[in-house]
Amino acid sequence: MTEIEHISGKEEYKSTLSRKILFLVICLVVLILTTVISCSVGTGYEFSKTLEVIWDHLTGVTYEPRSPDWWADYYIFNNVMPGVIMALVAGAGLALAGTVMQSMMENPLADAYTTGISSGACLGAVVAIIVGFSYSTVISGAGIVINAFIGSLIPAIIVILMVRYIGNSPSTIILIGTALTFFFNSLVTLIMITASAESLQDAYIWQVGSVSNASWSDMPLMLVLTAASAVLVQLSSSKLNIMALGEKSAKSLGLDVVQFRMLCIILTSVLIASIISFTGIIGFIGLVAPHMTRYLVGGDNKFVVPGSMIMGSTVLVLADLISRSLMTFGNIPIGVVMSFIGAPVFLYLIVRKRSHKDVF
Amino acid sequence: MAGKQDYYKMIHRKWIFIIICALLILVTLIFSLSIGMYDLSFFDCYRVLIEHLTGNITDPYADDIVVFTRLPIGVFAIIVGAVLALGGAVMQSMLRNPLADPYTMGVSSGALLGASIAIVLGNGIMPLFSDPWIKIVMAFGFSLIPVAVILMFSFKRRVTATKIILIGIAMMYIFSAVVQLLMITASEETLAEIYSWRVGTLALTTWDTIPIPLFISLVCGVVLFYHHRSINVMMAGPNSAHSMGVDPKRTILIEITIVSLMTAAVVCFTGTIGFVGLVGPHIARLFVGSESKHLLPASALFGGLFLLLANCVARVSGEYGLPVGVISAIIGCPLFIMILIRMRRKSAWK
Repeated sequence: MTEIEHISGKEEYKSTLSRKILFLVICLVVLILTTVISCSVGTGYEFSKTLEVIWDHLTGVTYEPRSPDWWADYYIFNNVMPGVIMALVAGAGLALAGTVMQSMMENPLADAYTTGISSGACLGAVVAIIVGFSYSTVISGAGIVINAFIGSLIPAIIVILMVRYIGNSPSTIILIGTALTFFFNSLVTLIMITASAESLQDAYIWQVGSVSNASWSDMPLMLVLTAASAVLVQLSSSKLNIMALGEKSAKSLGLDVVQFRMLCIILTSVLIASIISFTGIIGFIGLVAPHMTRYLVGGDNKFVVPGSMIMGSTVLVLADLISRSLMTFGNIPIGVVMSFIGAPVFLYLIVRKRSHKDVF
Repeated sequence: MAGKQDYYKMIHRKWIFIIICALLILVTLIFSLSIGMYDLSFFDCYRVLIEHLTGNITDPYADDIVVFTRLPIGVFAIIVGAVLALGGAVMQSMLRNPLADPYTMGVSSGALLGASIAIVLGNGIMPLFSDPWIKIVMAFGFSLIPVAVILMFSFKRRVTATKIILIGIAMMYIFSAVVQLLMITASEETLAEIYSWRVGTLALTTWDTIPIPLFISLVCGVVLFYHHRSINVMMAGPNSAHSMGVDPKRTILIEITIVSLMTAAVVCFTGTIGFVGLVGPHIARLFVGSESKHLLPASALFGGLFLLLANCVARVSGEYGLPVGVISAIIGCPLFIMILIRMRRKSAWK
């Protein structure tokens, strides 16, 4: 934390600061623990065994092919870990997007899902995959993500235009986003069913999100984009703080609001597109993680950004864990588990009394 | 007496809209019979129907398809569309909220939750009722939860119209998550079926489905129409309603309970079909105005027509057809956004 240096310190402030940092560290430890536990659940191997296999793999120990250890390594690394790591990255990315959007739009209910941006991205990705229509033929993965990005810009721009046109009432904006979500989801189904012989089940999986088909080859693009966005957002966290004060205050403090907002939209859209293209629409994580973090560390985005990323990863890894443990009952995608956790939070955020302007 | 004549002319025009809707429904119903994998023309269907009614069936295979597969779906589409649109019209007037309908208020998803609990638990909980009835009773009970929550908030403090709908949608998310879990864990349904229930489908309709919802919705519809005066009064706002001798809270409770009951009766068999309750009343309002006496029948008829048409489109999409809810959402969502924008700009509804 290099930020500590240029903060002149009263003792009190320093103690809250160290408390926040301590909190982040604890969250990180919890995240790592959850991830490792999650890797061992459902595999039939014990926790310590899983830990050993992962450690050995990372340190480069190789086993004799087809020995029990080799199988364990193979199974954990190719069947279990891609899903867990994808949940981890997706959680961090979506939580980051949620944090940015809430500050940028001064709207505590905003996140990738509630504003319809996820669905737009999903539509773009589905169009790219099904119709074989993508702007880049060089790498198909990148083509899908680019399409998803273009798709995600549609609701993003609609929502931003609406703010200008009808005023920034949080519930109205979110209602528009929700309607867009329903609309794009229906289009996804329609396109999937009419354009190719996809089943309703596939359409549904796209709309609730799933990490069960993850593979290592999906990861690099997602990881790079998420990490890059995280660095960018962290660097501009003080600007985000100013944005959350409201447009007028931000202007008078010397921030180019229009430009910054545009940058934020493009950044979040790229981020969301890169995740949604691989997982489908996972909802509410961008609401749950930032609000939990704000509750615990306060509204300063310098801490909220890393905090909510860690929190988002933890929650989504947990959701994946639950979804896999329920596998014995039936196929419950991670998105359904997530809406179990997230929808009540959403309801709470709507009905609580002081719902205006406490993003900050 | 020119004024009186103008008035009669206006009323006349309203009835003409209603009659045109009714005629269109009949034509579309026969047209909808001709849509599907087995190729039949409009006049073939007409002939098959006449032959079935007169009793000399020449083509048993066509008769089977038209009368026992496609006709119940068409008829049920009309019933469901009418019920949802009527519910939407009543809710919009009662709550003075142009976005209210059984779907956006969470009533439909509450009902679906009740129905799925009944399906999952079997007949164990209420042995007195036979199967479809227990589903409806449970659905009705659960459909009252979102209504109760929303009314609690709107009675206690001032809540904007958009916020009420947002509460309804949040409840819908919660309920549908529970429904998905219940269905998948308990009855081994596939994800595709869960999806169909979530967006609403008419594909499972047979003649056996129809009598109970038809009976309930007819009774509820007649009662609501009978109350059209107090619904009119409620549109002037709770205070004005009070001064005109209508108890606003009691009226809201009664009418919305009736709407919940009839919504529950159809949702049990179709899942949550969205946005019909917005499309029906808002289009009907363009033609007949907001006076409940004409608005209620007009929006019921237009809702029926709309869902029938949507179902025709849904059945020709893809190889095996789509759940009808997909089509109604594609048409209904833009309308929803349009109403929302108009609402924010004209402060009349705020």
